[in-house]
Amino acid sequence: MHLPEIDKYAHLKSIFHSWEPRAKLVSFLFLIITISLLHNLISACAGLVLAVVLVFLSGIPFRFVFKSLTWLFLFVLLFFVIMPLTVPGRILFKVGFITCSQEGFNIALLIALRAISIGLLVFPMIGTMEFHKTLKALSRLKIPNRLIQMIMFTYRYLFVFIEEYRRMTIATQARLFKRRTNLSTLRITGNLISMLFIRGFERTQCIYDAMVSRGYKGNLEIIDESKLCCKDFLKSSLIIMAALLLNFSKFVF
Amino acid sequence: MREVIKITNLEYVYPDGTHALRGINLNILEGESVGLIGPNGAGKSTLLLHLNGILRQKGRVEIDGLNLEEGNLDKIRNKVGFVFQDPQNQLFMPTVFDDVAFGPINMKLAKERVKEVVYEALKEVDMLYSIKRVSHHLSFGEKKKISIATVLSMSPQILILDEPSANLDPAARRHLIDFLKRLSITKIIAGHDLELILELCERSILLDKGKVVADGNTQIILSDSLLMQEHNLEVPSCLKADFQKKIEERVSL
Ligand SMILES: Nc1ncnc2c1ncn2[C@@H]1O[C@H](COP(=O)(O)OP(=O)(O)O)[C@@H](O)[C@H]1O
Ligand SMILES: [Mg+2]
Repeated sequence: MHLPEIDKYAHLKSIFHSWEPRAKLVSFLFLIITISLLHNLISACAGLVLAVVLVFLSGIPFRFVFKSLTWLFLFVLLFFVIMPLTVPGRILFKVGFITCSQEGFNIALLIALRAISIGLLVFPMIGTMEFHKTLKALSRLKIPNRLIQMIMFTYRYLFVFIEEYRRMTIATQARLFKRRTNLSTLRITGNLISMLFIRGFERTQCIYDAMVSRGYKGNLEIIDESKLCCKDFLKSSLIIMAALLLNFSKFVF
Repeated sequence: MREVIKITNLEYVYPDGTHALRGINLNILEGESVGLIGPNGAGKSTLLLHLNGILRQKGRVEIDGLNLEEGNLDKIRNKVGFVFQDPQNQLFMPTVFDDVAFGPINMKLAKERVKEVVYEALKEVDMLYSIKRVSHHLSFGEKKKISIATVLSMSPQILILDEPSANLDPAARRHLIDFLKRLSITKIIAGHDLELILELCERSILLDKGKVVADGNTQIILSDSLLMQEHNLEVPSCLKADFQKKIEERVSL
């Protein structure tokens, strides 16, 4: 199973890696929101180009990015099938009684451009720092503590969970279990999954005990040392300027 | 010598009806190292979980003169450091630093002081080099050492270790033993690693079916082959050899 390590390339060096997490998050969020509100194909194209450039500058390999975005691409492809068929407008071409509209195609294209740009931007945004730094930054940006804890523990124990699942499947295979499409496979898989849940539940109890015995009372404070400096503001203003330019480009085109 | 732990008539029944503790009476003196031995399911872990108030039902537990009750829990948890068996559950924070700082932060130490105690604790277990590492990438032995550091950073008066040497390789185990030997606070060590207990603890308590069946000098208890057999334990081989030697001496006389 593929481990969802978004911060796999956090150890590289780039202008995004050295950027203070809070400034980086806020500026990228601003850019992402701007792109998601673009209504103009040319601006959206420019947005995509910008996103590609930013990924390039981050030094994260495109192969990794594309592999992680496979699902997004498939999802976007769906729109190219649905939209031209359902949105009425100028007819692009006709096959039998099926008509494809130009308007539908344009909408699909717009959605695709925006979605892919945003998908790409996630990498220079949070792929350029270790995930805990993202969490610490979010925490300092006053995101509710409960939410931070939820994300943090989910991320922390996802790996343990996957590891446990892997070990259990190996254990079944060691006892000559082969996956087939029959009822017994279904039953055994069902058992595996329920075991996983029971173990997960027990583990949660143990973790909670460990937390309580070290003084946990529901609130999680984390010490974060990151400091903002001039360079961070400079980088942020560049990104925010780019976002504003994209937004105003609709008056030009 | 002062009594730091005083347990009277402690009973515990799990929600599913398992009668895990049946009337435990114990006193532990300041500075003592006590081994807690017994077969699987004897109730060792259950007993330990009472010492910082994670479990509470019937009977009386006094820690350093404080009765275990709601109002005293914070103070007691600062005094008692609990190292759980599975370091995976003990290390729930994203990085080593965050994990070791978790207790001190909850104790409301000032930020600078927190950093100091984290450094000290990590230095003590020889793991300072890992301070910035992500917990789930460490080896098992390293995780175990960090687990100990997470409670040392709270400077406890009493250290509780549940099966500390489980799954450790011989070198890591030796390291752990040497480290614990140097540590002069009150220690309670539960487990099946009888040779470790023999090396570290003057006194041992044998628990079976929720009752104390023997309490006294470790060497005497562990070399009592009848007693050990009766409770599904085995005399450690080093003691067997001792015994053998004594017999040979007698024969030669
Ligand atoms: N969460 C639980 N729910 C029900 N029974 C439990 C639970 N934890 C332990 N027990 C039972 O309580 C008894 C004592 O367990 P434990 O204290 O873990 O023993 P030890 O640590 O000596 O191996 C065992 O019979 C065990 O099955
Ligand atoms: Mg146990």
